[in-house]
Amino acid sequence: MSFKIKTALACAVLALNLGSISSAQAGKGLTAPDPDWTGGLVTCLVAQHIMENEFGYKIKRITMPSGPGAFEGVRSGDLDFACESWPSYSPTKDKYISKFGGDGTVDYLGETGIVGVSGYFMPRYVLEGDASRGIPASAPNLKSYKDMNQYKHMFRSLESGDRGNLIACPVAAWLCESQERLDMLGVDFYAQALGSETAHWAEIQAKYKRGEPFIAYAWAPHWIHAALDLVEVELPAYNEDKWPATNWAQDVTFFYGNPSVAKDHPDVAKLLDNMDLTNDMQASMIYDIDVKKLDSEDVVDSWMEANQSTWRKWLP
Amino acid sequence: MCVRKLLVTSMNAVIDDQPEQGWMASFWQEHRGWVITFALFVVSLLVWKIHGGETIFPKNWSDAFPFAQQIDQLDEWLRPYIQPTTRAIAAGVVWLYEAMSEFLIYTQWQVVFVILILPALAYGGLRLGLLAILAASTWLMLDYWDEAMETLSLMSISILISVVLGFLMGIASSQSDRVEAIMKPVLDTMQTLPAFVYLIPAFYLFGIGPPGAILATVIYALPPVVRLTNLGIRQVPAGIDEAATSFGATRAQSLIKVKIPLAMPSIKLGVNQTVMMALALVVLATFIGSPGLGDIVYKGLVRLNVGKALEGGLAIVLMAVMLDRITYAMGHIEQTSGSQHDHVFRLFPQSLEGIKPILYIEYGIDWIWRQVAAGGNLIALIVTSAVCKLIAIMDSNIAGRIREAMLARSFLIASLVLIAILMMLEGFDLYAKFPREWEYSFRTPVNQFMDELVTNKLFYAITTTIKEALWYGLINPLNIFLKGLPWWYTMLAFTACAFMVSGRTLAIVTVVGLMFIAAADLWSYGMITLTTVIVSVLICFVIGVPLGILAAYNKTVDTLLRPVLDTMQTLPVFVYLVPVVMLFGAGQVPAVIATVIYALPPLVRCTTLGIRELPEQINEVSNSFGASTMQTLSKIKVPMAIPAIMVGINQGIMMALAMEVVTPLIGGRGLGLQVFDGMNRASIGISLEAGIGIVMLAIMLDRMSQAWTKTQREALGMT
Repeated sequence: MSFKIKTALACAVLALNLGSISSAQAGKGLTAPDPDWTGGLVTCLVAQHIMENEFGYKIKRITMPSGPGAFEGVRSGDLDFACESWPSYSPTKDKYISKFGGDGTVDYLGETGIVGVSGYFMPRYVLEGDASRGIPASAPNLKSYKDMNQYKHMFRSLESGDRGNLIACPVAAWLCESQERLDMLGVDFYAQALGSETAHWAEIQAKYKRGEPFIAYAWAPHWIHAALDLVEVELPAYNEDKWPATNWAQDVTFFYGNPSVAKDHPDVAKLLDNMDLTNDMQASMIYDIDVKKLDSEDVVDSWMEANQSTWRKWLP
Repeated sequence: MCVRKLLVTSMNAVIDDQPEQGWMASFWQEHRGWVITFALFVVSLLVWKIHGGETIFPKNWSDAFPFAQQIDQLDEWLRPYIQPTTRAIAAGVVWLYEAMSEFLIYTQWQVVFVILILPALAYGGLRLGLLAILAASTWLMLDYWDEAMETLSLMSISILISVVLGFLMGIASSQSDRVEAIMKPVLDTMQTLPAFVYLIPAFYLFGIGPPGAILATVIYALPPVVRLTNLGIRQVPAGIDEAATSFGATRAQSLIKVKIPLAMPSIKLGVNQTVMMALALVVLATFIGSPGLGDIVYKGLVRLNVGKALEGGLAIVLMAVMLDRITYAMGHIEQTSGSQHDHVFRLFPQSLEGIKPILYIEYGIDWIWRQVAAGGNLIALIVTSAVCKLIAIMDSNIAGRIREAMLARSFLIASLVLIAILMMLEGFDLYAKFPREWEYSFRTPVNQFMDELVTNKLFYAITTTIKEALWYGLINPLNIFLKGLPWWYTMLAFTACAFMVSGRTLAIVTVVGLMFIAAADLWSYGMITLTTVIVSVLICFVIGVPLGILAAYNKTVDTLLRPVLDTMQTLPVFVYLVPVVMLFGAGQVPAVIATVIYALPPLVRCTTLGIRELPEQINEVSNSFGASTMQTLSKIKVPMAIPAIMVGINQGIMMALAMEVVTPLIGGRGLGLQVFDGMNRASIGISLEAGIGIVMLAIMLDRMSQAWTKTQREALGMT
């Protein structure tokens, strides 16, 4: 009997259900992945809000980790476009985007305007001390990678043993080649990859709050620079031939999409091509979202309200 | 009888300490296992000392085994051929998903709320109904209603597909020993192969979002239904089958009319387990872009918003507990009958009965419930009478029967009427949105509390001490030891152990498994995984067994422990990854700590169960021999509970291995990291290789501990 009750209930629910399904939303729909770092999310939200409010698109947003997965999705057509790819970190672009020597199954849709910088950073109190928190300057002469060995004992960790510990690029697939860089530069440090961005920032924040010395990989624009006072540890300037024994190149970030976007939605392609969000604009929104903990949608909405003249120029 | 005999002999052993034979011989007999283990350890240390340095598998051997590259090529080649089929399946699944989720999201929440509560009331009575109300209101108050509905749709469809497929597969394997023999390793692989391995192909073949997530969930959640359907049908006594056949039933008739109904309790248990396993994948599904509550947890995590992740986690836990209890109640429908009950409803434990306000609350709920039930019965009666009057015009005989059938389902009829009325009212725009003032959020205090903990000097000193003790005392030495042992020696030692506890088959499996890991150039990763698992299970043992014993003896401890363990088991592991990192930093030590949190509950539960289940007579007999409680416990109860504890250890090992693919997110470094790395590079070859390594270790360790438990049980005279 129990089974019948269930079946009947299920049937009833299903029957009611079939009756009430609204017809599929007519009109223009696009699908895009939400980048999982705030900067990328801001860029994406600005572009999407324009598409929705000005062109009348309905954008389906999907949360997924950035990386080759998004490229695969765009290539197969499950995703229409994706925002803010950082060239140094996306090897997949060379496989699919013809601009980078790929097979053309993914389209290059123009620069976002954001120029990314990556490097190694330490808290200012390591260099100068912080009287208000009672932290003495523990490495007053630490300016560049050449000085790191001199202070390596200060940066030791459980896993690094006698060497210093560098909180390196968290994910191996980003191709930072952290340990190779250190070895080639003769820096006696252990590059500890924490496995995920989450762990990376959690560790950095916790160490900063406790006032411990550390050197960590980071990029900008990023909220961490607004929340913590960090200074860069100098690396040799970028040089393609000497990589990875150099700093990262500046990342001129870009949009990419399925070839169907340019064909079927020229307005979207044109908008993405015109778009030119600056690092400062993005940083201000990142600050509101991650440091002031405001809702990302609200932050982008109010920025757009206040900066009409900026983004209206991007409209085709 | 057997127990009594056993007790007397073991009591004798306790009491006369004077051995009759030479002490060496008796020592060997009693502690053979320990002696061998110790000898093995000493020999291993010697070998390690002589060998020195890190072991390296011959490079030209592993180069001759380009497994990952070949898999990648195969994958690339195969995709275009299977993609049309998989996409067609995915389209069907998407249609189902969208139909369901859109119905749940776009229908007014009041209507959906009622639709969700009714099944809980029907199967589990008032108590379960209240639980369902609590769960649904929490989603509303946290403002995660839409996400909860998405997850609910995703889960329902995954569970539906798992149950249908699993049921058919279970029947197939119950009918043929050969099918069963093939099915077993397949199911083992499905349960232990990390989901990250098939997430990338799922992307490509099934598309992003719900279909890929549903596929991954089905793969993981299917095995229990298959196993328990098979088991249930096979356990039907042969006599019953013979009787059916002698009455002229064909094999199919006997199966459908006799065996499957008899196997129903077992099948329902399988469904229940499937539900729990499906819910374990909610957060993981986010990795291929599936929406829902997992998304909340994931976003909370990425932004280091522990409070938000915890809110999402709580919403998932409530859904898990609700679905678990409902499916469990469906298997035990006889004990709880929907609307009829004749004693006053009890919400709180009996011990609180003396307190007046509690009594009033209980009476109040009871009174409301009775009114609702009476109203429901009245509605059902009216509908039934009306329908039967109509039918009676044509045929009074049939009308009578229908009347009886309908009255027996008064709850269902009343529910349907209620839902229909609510749905009709929807057209009149009568429903309000869930009021914003009723929403609440606890993420801010949680985040503040975390901040407080991170900067607290004393707490930091404690976590540092724990961290250093674990690293210098256990993890690092074992890392160096296992990585330093020559690979051929480790292989030999494992194979010998496998042969001794089980036999030739397991020995062969062990050799093949370890050879695979070595040839795939994953040896040192494999050894790190082994270290993590060994250390984690050891810590679980040291914490879990005493806790379990305590809970078996002390009711308060038991009641306090139970909700904690429940939460530990259902809270998505991702929720506590960030707090662990904040407090312990990232690396192998926090990976071990997270693994312990995950793998501890079964060990505590099994220990408690093992000791509780021992027959009452034990206390009497051992008291009559003058043993103290402590003696009874250490000399008799714990040894007799060892098989149960071993089941817990076995489960702990499996869970620790499952955790291997999650801990790379916080700096774990083992086979799991390779799986993860392969996923990040979109290389199924790399992921699969490391994933198979994990499966091999899992099968090896599982079979060994199971075989050992079996011999222990036999030695203790339990069957």
